[in-house]
Amino acid sequence: MGSDVFEISINFVKMVAIFLLMVNLVPMLVWVERRGSAFIQNRFGPNRVGPLGLIQLAADAIKFLFKEEFIPPKGNKALFLIAPIIALIPGAIAFCSIPLSVPIEISAFEMFGSQWGPYVFPFQSFEIGIGIVFVLGVSSLGAYSMLLAGFGSANKYSLYGALRASAQMISYELAMGLAIVGILIVYGTFDFAEMIAAQQGPLSIPLFEADHVVNKVLGILPNWGVFYQPVGFILLFVSVFAETNRLPFDLPEAESELVAGYHTEYGGIKMNMFYIGEYGHMMVASALIAVFYFGGYSLGTTLDTILVEGTIVPNMSALFASLLNLFGSGWEQSTNLINVVRAFVFHGIFMAKILLFLWIFVWVRWTLPRFRYDQLMDLGWKTMLPWALANTILTAFLMLFLR
Amino acid sequence: MSELDILFYILSSMSVLFGALVVLTSSPIYSSLYLVMSMLSVAGIFMTLNAPFIAGIQIIVYAGAVLVLFVMVLMLFDLKRETKAFTKGRFSGFLKLVGAGLLCGFIAGAAYESVSLIMATSEEIPTNIAAAAETGFSPTTNSIKEISKLLFTKYLFAFEVLGLLLLVVPIGAVALSRVAGGTHAKH
Repeated sequence: MGSDVFEISINFVKMVAIFLLMVNLVPMLVWVERRGSAFIQNRFGPNRVGPLGLIQLAADAIKFLFKEEFIPPKGNKALFLIAPIIALIPGAIAFCSIPLSVPIEISAFEMFGSQWGPYVFPFQSFEIGIGIVFVLGVSSLGAYSMLLAGFGSANKYSLYGALRASAQMISYELAMGLAIVGILIVYGTFDFAEMIAAQQGPLSIPLFEADHVVNKVLGILPNWGVFYQPVGFILLFVSVFAETNRLPFDLPEAESELVAGYHTEYGGIKMNMFYIGEYGHMMVASALIAVFYFGGYSLGTTLDTILVEGTIVPNMSALFASLLNLFGSGWEQSTNLINVVRAFVFHGIFMAKILLFLWIFVWVRWTLPRFRYDQLMDLGWKTMLPWALANTILTAFLMLFLR
Repeated sequence: MSELDILFYILSSMSVLFGALVVLTSSPIYSSLYLVMSMLSVAGIFMTLNAPFIAGIQIIVYAGAVLVLFVMVLMLFDLKRETKAFTKGRFSGFLKLVGAGLLCGFIAGAAYESVSLIMATSEEIPTNIAAAAETGFSPTTNSIKEISKLLFTKYLFAFEVLGLLLLVVPIGAVALSRVAGGTHAKH
């Protein structure tokens, strides 16, 4: 965790803060989902409680917390109670291992009469060398929450929903994994921070010319993965919809056939935990797409140097320094302050990208109709898997010849 | 004792406990769920041994894929009839005897093999690392590249044969389900 008290406490605060960031985005997303669906379907949505209906979220949370608890008498009590908890874990742990901004470098400083050495704090709960392997492994555990919920409820609809959900997750994990293999071949690393570092600079596409390879630089565009792996991007984007059980792939909870699928018997805060898990999955998926294909926390080198480093960071850190000076201590434009502000500005850029993809999740959900079960399986096994295999093989050959 | 040692003792006792519960519980669903927990604690042990890639693969393949299928299939069975069929009868008794004998043999063999390791003094243990170095594996920070280099050069044949075996298994399963009496038999 760290070498001294300062580092350990900062790391601890960071862990709690990133978990709370994930959990507290959920009510906002529920609001966006409701208002967004109303916007798409040309109606008002919740607009009575508070400005723009924002206090509705608090009312919902209170309602969820104080609802009567119900456990199906013939069900399996232990499995029924543990399923919502397991639903929450994969999204939370996976989100913790994604770097949300540039690492904060703190040079040596003096506080409480003693020297505190230089530190480097990565902007993530824990750094794990294998990045994507860990995220894939942890998020594949999400199938258990649905299976246990379906089995523990002792309800036919729940069991059907659970079986559909897990079959769907296993099927689409193949296409998702193969789409990610393409991006791994391009970057040659498993680490998220190295992937983002590889996407710096202007776009340069290697081209064959006579007998050698020439790097053709396209100056304006950033060097993002989506230009190298367009097919992989589409495949990953489609399969995360299936992984998160969202429309158009929400067969596990198709209400016209299965009531509410695996969480039919759940109510109150337990059902809410399934929702938090689903939104956590969506956040992880959006963050992965942003890291793989859209440069993570960077806007492209040109914009980064001119806009972020040149304008926003100095102005904001000057503003913060003057604000802190109001409290009397002698803050000036120290490099530590600039580094902290810089990390938070890049974090804001990354969160903006994540929120953009989350909005696309909502948008698609309320625009497209649901697939039939056999269509879903056909799409997964007969269309996406061959395309993903072809993409992987083509990428591997191209990387071999262009190197 | 460092923090890694404490983690190792917690994780290894967890994996032994859950491994014992896999055998001791009568309900197959609970057994497979305890197996998941055991696999996860083994993944944690790999993590403490500085092999994060193996840990990730352990979670993806065993806990995330194989055992999800186990649990899914077990939920479709009429478990009461299966339990009854395996609690009585001479044949299942014979199977139980064989299983118990194999388990005792494994435990005795493992104990016998590990005596020399437990008795070894601290000077003798680094020979294991030297023995590992002879296979060509050097544990560095970027172990994934080392593993893949070994897999695609030295152990290429074994790797490809295993891949072929894994390909044969699903094809065989599909073919078996289509013969007369199978679940997808053609009438």
